[in-house]
Amino acid sequence: MIPHYQLLSPTLGELVWENQPSDELLGYQLAYLNHIQINFSDTLMEARQGFTRISLVWRNLKNQQEFLTHLKNLKLTPMELSNAIWQVPVCYDPDYGQDLNSLAEAKNLPLAELIQLHSEPVYRIHFFGFLPGFFYLNGLSQRLHTPRKSVPLLAVPPGSVAIGGSQTGIYPMQSPGGWHIIGRSPISLFDIKQPIPVWAKPGEQIQFEPISTSQFQNWKEAYPKLIRP
Amino acid sequence: MSQLLGKATLLRCPPGTSLQDEGRLSGAQYGIPTSGAMDQKSFHWANHILQNTVNPVALEMAQPGLRIQFDQDCQISLAGAKVLASINQTPLSNSSLISIAAGDLLEIGAFLSGSRLYLCIQGGFQVERHLGSGSDFESVSSTSKRSASEVLTYVAFPQLNSLRAKPKWETSWFESPEIEAYRGADWELLSSAQQELICSKTFHLSKLSNRMGIQLEELVPNQLEELPTNPVFPGTVQLTPGGKMIVLMRDAGVTGGYPRILHLTEDGQSKLAQKRAGDPIRFQLIETITG
Repeated sequence: MIPHYQLLSPTLGELVWENQPSDELLGYQLAYLNHIQINFSDTLMEARQGFTRISLVWRNLKNQQEFLTHLKNLKLTPMELSNAIWQVPVCYDPDYGQDLNSLAEAKNLPLAELIQLHSEPVYRIHFFGFLPGFFYLNGLSQRLHTPRKSVPLLAVPPGSVAIGGSQTGIYPMQSPGGWHIIGRSPISLFDIKQPIPVWAKPGEQIQFEPISTSQFQNWKEAYPKLIRP
Repeated sequence: MSQLLGKATLLRCPPGTSLQDEGRLSGAQYGIPTSGAMDQKSFHWANHILQNTVNPVALEMAQPGLRIQFDQDCQISLAGAKVLASINQTPLSNSSLISIAAGDLLEIGAFLSGSRLYLCIQGGFQVERHLGSGSDFESVSSTSKRSASEVLTYVAFPQLNSLRAKPKWETSWFESPEIEAYRGADWELLSSAQQELICSKTFHLSKLSNRMGIQLEELVPNQLEELPTNPVFPGTVQLTPGGKMIVLMRDAGVTGGYPRILHLTEDGQSKLAQKRAGDPIRFQLIETITG
């Protein structure tokens, strides 16, 4: 999984992998990201990660070319991904998941089975994007893949757990959104007052833990529990 | 030596007014947008006039109507859109460098050309910074926009002597329709017919424009599917499955799933930020990447 590099502007370029998103690819991405951040901290302005790319912003073209030369002889081994799992409570109730019933109907699934399909897998956090504190996860059951809504909702409530395409995620704050909302989590996903405003890192895992409406209403903890398999 | 702080009261504040600077570079890892002044060129010019350094915070306006009163002496500079402005109801002939005396009232009238005005102040407005930036953004700064009766803090400076030459802000640079752009990361996915269309057609800015992005009216027929979500930046042009082109601007999310077909130069982004709904633009592709 050796990436190639695409020069996009004098200061912007990206590492390109042609593979599908996977744990293995993520391990390589994190290894490259780590290597670059350690060795090019003086000339790298910014790095952004996606499912199959890492975009790099350089101080100038010369710095970017220096990196390109360095990359030619670079062979990294993938970073080992964490086994830690964050347990994220979710209330799967039509009161909080306004699309729960319609999705179950469209998928021809009993509600309990839909909830099980969503809360059973362990999902891998790949990167943050879309909104502050919104993590992109890999691992949604194929049975739950659902095209995004044609008309997005103007105000998805904060904490909403939703499915869009082959993705699932949690809206950290109120926002317009085209994903199908199946529940809500009482925990905080983004707090700018903390030194690091998010509690999880790319490469870590999460699992959704179904909770009742009354548990949701009385939930005290701002952060999820960290458990290990 | 302690600094004397001045207070600037927003007596009237039109919608779309916010504090902005160069933006945040270290927030993308948490999903935080770049933010910052939409037209960095004008923002930098005015701050250069004021000899400001270290990411000064300025007021960005997208509509006329601001009334702001200063309670201490200071120097300010207006750049970006060409506007009618007055101090204590006396129209200003040159608003590039204005010496403000304690009690002065600045009023911003009609926008004659351009879309975004910067009120920069010597030393920058004093606000709490998050990840190195004082730019307003929902959930990152204390507020996402400014409103009437708010008070902004600045460092008071004695008035300059009048011997200093007064530069004049020119706006002709943003009036032509040509916008320079590099090929985007997913440019090669387009058919040659699509590529030719994008390079030759005149597009017009849609009304659907804000600090997150500017949509273009004309469609580019498109069969491309969504792609795995990958990084985007201010200046990235996305092509939606419906054929709509969206130019991402400063508050855009840091990743996206639509093909990234172009990437505007920094000047191109500043120029586009000064365009209005209905204005024509043409993309000028940059063939070679040079320093």
